[in-house]
Amino acid sequence: MFSFVYYIKEFLRPTWIRSFLTAKTAPLKSPSYFRDFPQTTEKECTHCLACMMICPAPDAINVVQRAGVWQPEIKKGHCIRCGLCIEACPEDVLASGRILEYKRREELTLKGTYHISIDQKKCMGCGNCSVSCPVNREIDPSLRSSGTSTSDEVIMRVDTGQNKVLHEEKCTGCKTCEDHCPNQAIRVARVVEALQGGEE
Amino acid sequence: MKKTVDVSLPIGPMHPLFKEPCRIKCETRGEFVLSAEVELGYVKKGIERIMRGRPWQEVMFLAERVCGICSVVHNYVFIEAVENVSGIAPTERAAYLRVIVNELDRMQSHLLANYSYCYTIEHETLAMYLLNLRETVMDQLELITGARVTCAFIIPGGVRCDLSADGAASLRTALDHIDSELSRFVRIFETGPLIGLRSKGVGLLTKEAAIEAHAAGPTARASGIPDDLRNIHPTYRLLDFKPVIRYEGDNYARIMVRFEEVFQSTGLIRTALALMKEGPIRGGGTIKAGTVRYRGEAPRGELLYDLTTDEHGRILEIAIQTPSIMNIQVCAHAMLKNAQSAADITAIFISSDPCIACTER
Repeated sequence: MFSFVYYIKEFLRPTWIRSFLTAKTAPLKSPSYFRDFPQTTEKECTHCLACMMICPAPDAINVVQRAGVWQPEIKKGHCIRCGLCIEACPEDVLASGRILEYKRREELTLKGTYHISIDQKKCMGCGNCSVSCPVNREIDPSLRSSGTSTSDEVIMRVDTGQNKVLHEEKCTGCKTCEDHCPNQAIRVARVVEALQGGEE
Repeated sequence: MKKTVDVSLPIGPMHPLFKEPCRIKCETRGEFVLSAEVELGYVKKGIERIMRGRPWQEVMFLAERVCGICSVVHNYVFIEAVENVSGIAPTERAAYLRVIVNELDRMQSHLLANYSYCYTIEHETLAMYLLNLRETVMDQLELITGARVTCAFIIPGGVRCDLSADGAASLRTALDHIDSELSRFVRIFETGPLIGLRSKGVGLLTKEAAIEAHAAGPTARASGIPDDLRNIHPTYRLLDFKPVIRYEGDNYARIMVRFEEVFQSTGLIRTALALMKEGPIRGGGTIKAGTVRYRGEAPRGELLYDLTTDEHGRILEIAIQTPSIMNIQVCAHAMLKNAQSAADITAIFISSDPCIACTER
C-alpha cells in the first residue's frame, strides 16, 4: 500500500511529467569531417572530366551541361563517397568533409594519364573507335565514317587498314572507343599517380 | 549394434549469435560433441573476378569491401603488394600514419570479436561495455580518415590525408580513455567466475593441432605459436614490436590475447605518434608490371595477396587468401571435437573469430 502511494507521488511530480512529455533525443548530425557525398562549390567547371575518369564506382559522377553551364552531377545510389573526384579536380569544383581543405593546404593532387593500347591481331580497321572518339570529332569534324582522316592532329585514325594511335597525350580516358570496338581490340588504361607539392 | 550418434545438430546458417551466415553441423551423443563440420558458401561475392582488368584506384575500393570488420588491412596489404611490384616506398610520415590507422582498425576488430564472444556466453553487460568502447575507436578512425569503416586511406606512395596536431591530441586522449576503461573490462573478464566456467579449459587447441592445421593470428598465438607478420614488417620493426603469446589454448586464452593486443596497439600508436616527424605524406609513383605474393598481418592472422599487374598498372590476376579459412577449419576439426557441452559450440566457434565475408569473398 505504501509503495503504491509512493509510485503515485513519484509519477505526479511536475518535473517528471514535464520531462516525460517533452523529452527529445538530439537530432542525429554528421560531424563536419565526415566524408559525405561531394557537393559543388561556386567554382566554375571547365569540363576536363578528371572527376569522371578517376571515379571507381560505375556511373556515379557525370559532367553534364545545364542551361549552358557544365557541372558535375553525383548519383547518390552509385557514389561510394570515396572522395577521389574532389582530389582529382584541378579547379576545386567539388567539396566534401575536410578533403578540399587539406587538398589545398598540402597541395595534394591525383594526376591521371591515359594510355591507349591496340591489339593488332584483333583490330580489323573498322574505324569505330576513331569515329566515336569525342576528342577526334572536335579536332577533325570532317572525320569520315571509315575512320580515316587527313589531319595529323587527331588521337588516332585508320591508316592502311589498321587503327594507328598518333597523339596518345590528347586522350581524356573516356573509354568511348572501348565501348564501340566490336572485337575488344582497343583498351584504355587510366594511370593515376598520387602527388604532393604542386607540379612535380 | 550400439548407436553412437544420437543427434545431428545443425547450427545456422542463421543464428542469433553469428555475425555472418555459416552452418555448423555437429554429431552429438547427449551433450557431448563427437565431431563437427562447418559449411560455407552463403555470402560468396566473387570479388576477385570483379577486380581483374582494373587499375589500383578501383581495386583498392573493392579490396576494402572484401570484409567490413578489417577493411583497412585489406587496403593496406593490397597497396603494399602493388608498391612491392613497382618499387615504390611510402614516405616516412605516411608509413607511420598507415600503422596508426591499421592499429586502430585492429583495435576495433578485436573489441568487436570480444564483444561477440561475451554476447555468446550471455554476458551482455560486458559485451555492451566493449561495444561502447569500440565506438571511441571508430570515432577516431572517422576523425582521421573521414569514414568509419571504408576508410580508403592508403594509396600507392603514401596516404590520403595528414593527421593534424588537433587530431593527434584527440587521438592521445582517446587512447588514454581506452586504456583506463579496457583495463577495467579485462579485470571483469579475468575475475568473473561464470566467465571462467564458460571459458577456461573450453575449446582446447593444442600447439601440435594448431601447427598441423596452419592456424593463424590470435588463435595460433593463444596456443603458443609466436607467428606474427608484423615481426618482419619494416615500419613495425622501428616500433619495437613483440607479439603477444599465451600457452593455454582455450577460449579464455584467445580472448585474452585479443585484449592484450588492444593494449599493445595503443602502445604502438603512441610510439608511432612520438616517432612521427613532419614531412610529405605522398611520394608519387605509378604501378608497373610484375607478379608478387605479399603477406600482411590482419586482425585474424596472415592475409595474402597474390597478384599480377600489366605495364599500365592494371590487375591481371589476383588471388586473396584470408586467415579465417584456416581458423574455421581448425575450429571445426580440433576445438569443437570432444566439446563437453552442446552449449559451448557457439562459444568455441565465436572465440576463433571467424570472418565469413573474408573467407568467401
